[in-house]
Amino acid sequence: MSSTKSIPAALAVTCLTACLTAGLAAPAASATGDDDDRVIRTGSCSGSADWKLEVKTDDGRLEVEGEVDSNVSGQRWRWTLRHNGSVSERGVGTTSGRSGSFEVERKVVDLAGSDAIVFRAVRDGQVCRGVVNY
Amino acid sequence: MRWLTNPVAQFLAAGLVTLVVVVVATSALSRSAADEEAIADARSLTWVLAQSVAEPEIPPGLVDGDAAAIDRLDRTALDRLLVGDVLRVKLWDAEGTVLYSDRTELIGAVYPLGDDEVEVLTNGGTEAELSDLGRPENRFERALGGDLLEVYTRIESPEGEPLLFEAYLGVDDIRRSRAQILDRFLPITLGALLALVALGTPLVLLLSRRLSRAARERESLLEAAVRASDAERLRIARDLHDGVVQDLAGSSLALSTIASRAGDADRHELEALARSLRVNMRSLRSLLVEIYPPDLHTGGLAAAVDDLVAPLVADGVEVDVDVTGTEDAPLPAIGLLWRVAQEAVRNVARHARADRMSLTVRREGDRMVLEVVDDGVGFAPDDLVVEDRFGLRAAGSLVREHAGTLEVESAPGNGTVVRMEVPIG
Repeated sequence: MSSTKSIPAALAVTCLTACLTAGLAAPAASATGDDDDRVIRTGSCSGSADWKLEVKTDDGRLEVEGEVDSNVSGQRWRWTLRHNGSVSERGVGTTSGRSGSFEVERKVVDLAGSDAIVFRAVRDGQVCRGVVNY
Repeated sequence: MRWLTNPVAQFLAAGLVTLVVVVVATSALSRSAADEEAIADARSLTWVLAQSVAEPEIPPGLVDGDAAAIDRLDRTALDRLLVGDVLRVKLWDAEGTVLYSDRTELIGAVYPLGDDEVEVLTNGGTEAELSDLGRPENRFERALGGDLLEVYTRIESPEGEPLLFEAYLGVDDIRRSRAQILDRFLPITLGALLALVALGTPLVLLLSRRLSRAARERESLLEAAVRASDAERLRIARDLHDGVVQDLAGSSLALSTIASRAGDADRHELEALARSLRVNMRSLRSLLVEIYPPDLHTGGLAAAVDDLVAPLVADGVEVDVDVTGTEDAPLPAIGLLWRVAQEAVRNVARHARADRMSLTVRREGDRMVLEVVDDGVGFAPDDLVVEDRFGLRAAGSLVREHAGTLEVESAPGNGTVVRMEVPIG
């Protein structure tokens, strides 16, 4: 595993795929790469909310942080974390605070080869979906 | 090194040796028992972990390598699997695929299973062995350090497939913890032995003192008996010397005087009678020397030896006596020289039929040397009669007690040499 994963050339393709799957016309997904090995991607949900997906390695595991920011506190979102296509974890998150956001943090096993991490959150027809191939 | 003969020292030394043997044996047994206990504990722990933690937590799909199933097992079971001395876990299928391990790099890799592992996978049970860290599937365990015990047992996936659950345990830690438990018994063993020695030592000391006291009393009685015997012999010798010997001397002088005045016919007979009296007188004086040893300190060894050899001279043996170096010799050494010389001269007089005998006493460094050499018939050591053998053996024993040496060389027809050395330092 490389120590740093910056914006790859296939980002546009991945982003486009994600946006189309989420039914978004023009997702504002982006990613940043630091000196460490974390990958951060952000984008807009089908409604007014935004999402953020961050993946980094941790002792043979991948630490995954998914975040939805709707600017409205008290909303309940159903979320799903998929790992290589299978549902690794799912749950319900409630936005809170002035930012009206909720955050999910889970660890998945860093398997051999590329790991496809998908974070998906839905509420009342709004869909947020972020993908990182790590 | 006299303390070596002390019974208390011997008892304590035996106790110490026993203590060391017990400590060594107990330690060896403890280590062996600790190893066995460690293996038994590891098997039990692995079996419990496999049955109560791993198997219930295996999610469906794990056998197919489903990533989410791997994640769920990792999240729900790992903390409960890596407990105590368990340093690593691996879950295998029958084809040798690592379905799960806390070392995630191994997941999905395939390694051939060993015969024992296949046996457990097929027939169940729990096996334990020292891990071979040279095998590629164990490469990550090398960094754990020390010996590892590899314990494996069979479990089943939700789909009913047999799986091999394998746990790696740190042997050193287990061994140490078990040894600590067993070491608690060591003080009990040592304490019992030390208590036994502590209780026994005063008893042995008491017994030893009683025996020593009895020995001293026996020695005192013997010394008293010897002193009484010496006093009696001295009285007899003094009576003979002051009575019979003086009478014989007077009679001899009187006969000599009468012989000088007698005619030729009687003078020869009277002179022969006077000579016979003088010979008897010398024999009697020699007998007195044997009955009671002379005062060697006052009269000196040379004078005593002269009296000792007088009977030989009277018998016509050519005797050469040379005594030197006795001036500052200690009295025990002089006494010893005298006793051995007495025995040697007695043997010459009784058995040697010698024409010549030389008796030499001299000093060589820090030793006094006695040599008695005769040109008599000699003897073969095997032909010694019991009485004479006893005399020489007793003399030899006496010499050895004084850290000296006594050598007797003889052969039939070649005379005899008796040589004694005794230290005077």
